[in-house]
Amino acid sequence: MVPVGLTLQPEEAYLDALAPLLDEDADYYEVAPETLWRRDAAGALVPNGFHKLFLERRERTGRPFVAHGVGLSLGTSDDDDPARLLAWLNRIRDDHRRFEFAWYTDHLGATTLDGRALTLPVPLPMTPQMAARVRTRLTHLQTVVPDVGFENAVFYFLFGRPLDEPAFFRAILTEPRMHLLLDLHNVYTMGRNFDFDPNDYVDRLDLSRVIEIHISGGSDSEPAWLPSRSTMRLDSHDGPVPEPVWALLERVVPRCPGLRGVTLERMEGTVEAGDTALLREEVRRAKRIAAA
Amino acid sequence: MSDALRRFDRAVADALTAADPVTALREAATGDWPPELRDALAAAAEQEDGVRLTALLVVKLRFERLVQGSRRAGEWFDRDAKDFTEAFRRYHAAVPPTATEPRGEAELFERWCGTQGAGD
Repeated sequence: MVPVGLTLQPEEAYLDALAPLLDEDADYYEVAPETLWRRDAAGALVPNGFHKLFLERRERTGRPFVAHGVGLSLGTSDDDDPARLLAWLNRIRDDHRRFEFAWYTDHLGATTLDGRALTLPVPLPMTPQMAARVRTRLTHLQTVVPDVGFENAVFYFLFGRPLDEPAFFRAILTEPRMHLLLDLHNVYTMGRNFDFDPNDYVDRLDLSRVIEIHISGGSDSEPAWLPSRSTMRLDSHDGPVPEPVWALLERVVPRCPGLRGVTLERMEGTVEAGDTALLREEVRRAKRIAAA
Repeated sequence: MSDALRRFDRAVADALTAADPVTALREAATGDWPPELRDALAAAAEQEDGVRLTALLVVKLRFERLVQGSRRAGEWFDRDAKDFTEAFRRYHAAVPPTATEPRGEAELFERWCGTQGAGD
């Protein structure tokens, strides 16, 4: 049976509201390591208060942790940020020693380009040279955590066609112990925004590389945000998992021989006490599908 | 090619921090590029809504990073949101987003305020 995990968000309200669910239903926990750091007076990356809190949870529950970051910036050239990359890898090494991450993934894309912090993962040109650049970053990460990978991100524009992404992923993932984190809500969101059938996208993927699946909900942008008054679906993790994402999960799980976890994601700031029952039912539904 | 990819990175970062990201991408696409990078830029420039939304989210995340890291920014926003938002717009146009964390963003903002006599 494939375990089902939950994201741990560094927010007291989130942890309080979901405490019973986190204690009783989650088979494992997923954390974004960089949200557990702060800079000290000398500028060094050091653990923050949630780091300690999550370590205590690990010791208390004995459950595995997986890491899923957003800031390593897999599409950034090593030449652009050698000092930052080294500082991050050292910090991750220390975290891995304490949390023993089962695997470590980040988002495919660039959050830092030409020395500028864009923070949001932005798309990459789907060229062989870029595939090699991403693979190099993953190789660096493998010196710390042996099993690494990337998540198919949500982009709102692309340097190419959306259905070419799976071939780009294959070009990156050529080495052992490099994996795909398949985010099904992201596939659904891209399908909505770029007008394609998510099943066509999934059918093009090398599903033997999938180590983890993400499910979550989202919402639409506001018409006032764009001059065209158009809206786009956002990767906002702020609502129930849509039915088409459940259908994708049912279809995909049996086809992923290396699958080691299904994670239900929810963003901090979006959970109220009344949401616990819904999220518990979502975890249980995911477990039924993962066990089938 | 690696040099072209570095130039591509710069062009994308320029566009996504520009006041008009679509025009910036279109202008970038007319540059001297290997065919696959020129096609990539041209394809992106045709996706106006997606490019504008991405640039908007980049700005939004920087705004949040600043308010989180800078007491001065937070108090200014609470005191006069419209005035602060206008100042932030000028700050974002003038200062490249080189800080990845709230504290670094706050330091950039403090330096910029010092040159503007702003936020007091």
